[in-house]
Amino acid sequence: MMRLQRCAACGRAQYPPREVCGTCLSDQLTWESADSLPARVLARTRLHHSNEPRFRPHLPLTCGLVRFDAGPVAVCFLADAAVPGDLVRVRMGDNDLLRAE
Amino acid sequence: MRGHAPSQAAMMPGSYQGVALCCPVTEPYVRRSDHGAAWFLARALRRLLDAGGVAKTDVDGLCVSSFTSRPDTAVGFTQYVGVSPRVLEWLPMGGACGLIALRRAARAVQAGDAEIVACLAGDTANATSFRDLLAEFSSFARDAVYPYGAGGPNASFALIADAYMRATGATREDFGKLAVAQRANARRNPLALLRGELTMADYLAARPIAEPLHLFDCVMPCAGADGFLVMPEARARRLGLPFVRVLSAIERHNAFPDDPVQLRGGWAMDRDTLWAQAGIGPADVRFVETYDDYPVISMLQFEGLGFCTEGDGPAFVRRHDFTIEGSLPHNTGGGQLSMGQAGAAGGYLGLVEAMRQLLGAAEGRQVTNARHALVSGFGMINYDRGLCSAAAVLARP
Repeated sequence: MMRLQRCAACGRAQYPPREVCGTCLSDQLTWESADSLPARVLARTRLHHSNEPRFRPHLPLTCGLVRFDAGPVAVCFLADAAVPGDLVRVRMGDNDLLRAE
Repeated sequence: MRGHAPSQAAMMPGSYQGVALCCPVTEPYVRRSDHGAAWFLARALRRLLDAGGVAKTDVDGLCVSSFTSRPDTAVGFTQYVGVSPRVLEWLPMGGACGLIALRRAARAVQAGDAEIVACLAGDTANATSFRDLLAEFSSFARDAVYPYGAGGPNASFALIADAYMRATGATREDFGKLAVAQRANARRNPLALLRGELTMADYLAARPIAEPLHLFDCVMPCAGADGFLVMPEARARRLGLPFVRVLSAIERHNAFPDDPVQLRGGWAMDRDTLWAQAGIGPADVRFVETYDDYPVISMLQFEGLGFCTEGDGPAFVRRHDFTIEGSLPHNTGGGQLSMGQAGAAGGYLGLVEAMRQLLGAAEGRQVTNARHALVSGFGMINYDRGLCSAAAVLARP
């Protein structure tokens, strides 16, 4: 599943989640759920270094910046083949981490 | 100059007339240290008192920045070193903290709220301090960036660099030109930690860290501290201290929040004010100190501060020589890329270097006829972009 926060007052979607709407400051926030959400890749990187030992066996890791069609921008794990401009679907995987494919 | 944002021209800030910046000091950087951050800050304060010929009790204003002093802030530091200031600023603004300290201190001095303000930034560095800092850098970073491979600022700036290269046609050689020139400058600066020769071939052959960033695009974390004093010109004269003037200074936070990727910082919102108040333009400054946590960010500063137009950073870099004798000396002490990044002191480094140049105290790397300088700062990747930008135009009296 993929969840994205949306303000009930002004309708704006936001990410990362917070307790008030970053646009109108309302605290009437709802969650939209879907199997996946469409987004476009804005930028990508191949990480060859991590500050956490637990990631080191998995290097290199591909990460990206994507923009949901709903508006907000998210840092996520990215399919190795995805490049900026590509349309992707973003899902929440283990530990609620985002992955775009 | 092109306008980018709603004009701020109606609200020209008050002049910085009568304010003196004195005594740039550096507690030399080291790769690792067992000392705490307060030790580095205290050593820099001691240097300020010695350089200024003032007593600890004369310091009635204090601005402090540090990442690794936690849980202590500026408040705890007053008791640690036994000072009783009547103005106290804690400025956790990373790469913009030096310029923001300058602004706060200058206004406190002009208003008479303080007479002598000591501005300090410093940090320690040990095996775990950097990782601990990154893991808890901000709530957004902790929840929505760090879990994605824990690349830290390298990963965040890699994404910005990737977008910038695609948008402008910037190449690795363009970034490398800045890094190589800064290393050449650093080789003339005994305070720089990295003084080995760096060629373009070395730069291009370096191992990847977070593509498109490679080793020499990234700063080396280290320990150290920098500082300066702010006081009325009249007081500086009585103390016999040479000083630098502030012609103008700006700051902006969370600029252009709707830009999907950060291809510009906040400077564009305020640079017309900056140059109008200074009474000079980009072509009139003799040298430039940008915040170079990565070369791409220096390019954003050249663009945002009007040295070239937006997106023209690569062409600008190709037509200039950034070494001490070059057409536009840039990061004349080597910048963070060659001096090291001593945490929050990285936000002071360009400012103290500009002061040394304008005071004629840059020894083996002195820029000739250094009358005016532009210093720029950038800080705090809270989530996907740096939120704090600042700049100042400084002049030798």
